[in-house]
Amino acid sequence: MAEGVVFDLGYRPHEGERLGRSGARRALYKDGVRRVLGLRRKARRKVFPIALIGTALVPALFFVALGVIAGEFDQAATLFDHPQYFDLTGSMALVFIALASGELLIPDRVHGTLQVYASRPLTTIDYLIGRAAALATVVIGFLWLPHVVLFLGRAWVSSEGFGSYVTAEAEVLLTTLLASVGYFAAFAPLAFAVASVSKRASLAAGVFLGIVTISGPTSAALVDAGFPSMGLFSLQHHPGYVKDWIMSSSTHSWIPERAGYEPILSVAVILTVAVASWLVVLFRQRRST
Amino acid sequence: MPSGTPILAVSGLRFAYGDIVAIDGVDLTVPPGRIGLVGANGAGKTTLLKILLGVLPPAAGSVSVLGHPLEHGAIEIRSRVGWMPEGECLPPDQTAADFLGYAAELGGLPPRAARQRASDVLGLVGLHEERFRYIGEFSTGMKQRAKLAQAIVHDPELVLLDEPTAGLDPDGREEMLDLVTRLEDFGINAVISSHVLTDIERTCDWVIMLDGGHVLRSGPLSDLSTTDEAELEVIGDLDAVAAAAERLGAVVQREGSSLVITRSDGDAFDIARDAVVAAGAAIRRLGARRTTLEDVFLGAGGGDG
Repeated sequence: MAEGVVFDLGYRPHEGERLGRSGARRALYKDGVRRVLGLRRKARRKVFPIALIGTALVPALFFVALGVIAGEFDQAATLFDHPQYFDLTGSMALVFIALASGELLIPDRVHGTLQVYASRPLTTIDYLIGRAAALATVVIGFLWLPHVVLFLGRAWVSSEGFGSYVTAEAEVLLTTLLASVGYFAAFAPLAFAVASVSKRASLAAGVFLGIVTISGPTSAALVDAGFPSMGLFSLQHHPGYVKDWIMSSSTHSWIPERAGYEPILSVAVILTVAVASWLVVLFRQRRST
Repeated sequence: MPSGTPILAVSGLRFAYGDIVAIDGVDLTVPPGRIGLVGANGAGKTTLLKILLGVLPPAAGSVSVLGHPLEHGAIEIRSRVGWMPEGECLPPDQTAADFLGYAAELGGLPPRAARQRASDVLGLVGLHEERFRYIGEFSTGMKQRAKLAQAIVHDPELVLLDEPTAGLDPDGREEMLDLVTRLEDFGINAVISSHVLTDIERTCDWVIMLDGGHVLRSGPLSDLSTTDEAELEVIGDLDAVAAAAERLGAVVQREGSSLVITRSDGDAFDIARDAVVAAGAAIRRLGARRTTLEDVFLGAGGGDG
């Protein structure tokens, strides 16, 4: 029988490079992206994000495939031009942000892992920026990727030729990216604020979704009842209104629009809610640490 | 850190939670090594550790850790210090290897070095076989070892351990104390907070006694635990030896089958020898009386209330 030999290498101090605070920030960001996508976690943690991303991509892939098989198609007839695509992915992003925000903030607090962060070369603001940047990467990527696929697919089947289509329509990539940022800015800070005061991710997601979805019909009813200023409280409708403004389209009768407000006011509301939410998160995080 | 630099230098430190003063006028200069921080619950041990880490801002006073003043920012200190909190700090949904690698990266190590260190340190704490298991599946003892591993995975110069044996069974406690003792071999200084005095006696070479936010004593453990009293066990009549020692001018105290002989103006060992001869007995054991940390702590007024 062969005998194993155990070599005790003892303790080997780290004598290489140390990256300090910048390395810690990068690690935090990477961990956030992995956590949102369920990577290096149990299989069930991966199911929801991958299913959602897959579902968001399906229409783009379908129309690209249709175009490849049947040749160039009438974009208007598909009902799935870029602005309309946000009506599908925007709602999905809302659910995704609701769940991912809780997953990013709550376990660290509940399981005491914040104490590990507190012992590393990071500040509270580093921690929050790292978490927000991870969520932004995934959410903006999730919102924007289908547009990139659709854009490249249309360029591929375009009768003008790939290069000509890309040159002529490149602005779409910028406007869809801006609109994606708008959706993130409208929903994520509020979701973080709710997550920062909750002990359970599912509860935080439910409360956040409740606030946002109820805000739409409630403000619509109040606007219709003669209180136009309540149109500003329609949290669900601001990013769509801003998206239509950016993309020069009109896909819906948005409540702030019905109340007579300009899109720039919706931008102001989004920024105000974001700043207020950020302050709540910062206050809560400092107390937790 | 230049050799000879104290790992901790604290002067006039004060901290309060609202109206409750947790640390009041603490002055300390502590050399490298394994430092015990003892005190009853609520003595201010955890508060002091959190101040050293820069998590809690002192209300007054100055703090220097590894020669680096806290006023210049805690970030530099945290790159060189590890922290093992008393409570839970591990994510149950990550494997030990993944979390340790991440903890090392958070400490500033490059990703490749972090993965290697995670594997090495998990081996050192006896979790190498368990490194791909989720932490949520770990026993309490394994979690304590993983907590220690995350505190040293970025190769700090100083590690702050808050109640490292809390919640462990006797075997687990022994293993943890062995690991803590080995930290010095790794070149890592340690401040070990505990209310279990025997743990500190076993692992530390310097002790800081805290009570009600004040330092009762701070010094080498050997200075605190040795006295000029002689402890004597005899073969023969113990009472006769005690009486002889008293006749020779000593103060004698009986502790079980031993006599503790104290002489204010001379060598207690000479008295012990002469008393044994005078009583016609024989010496079974004669040595310096070693006091326990508990004796010193209680003698200094610790643990009142």
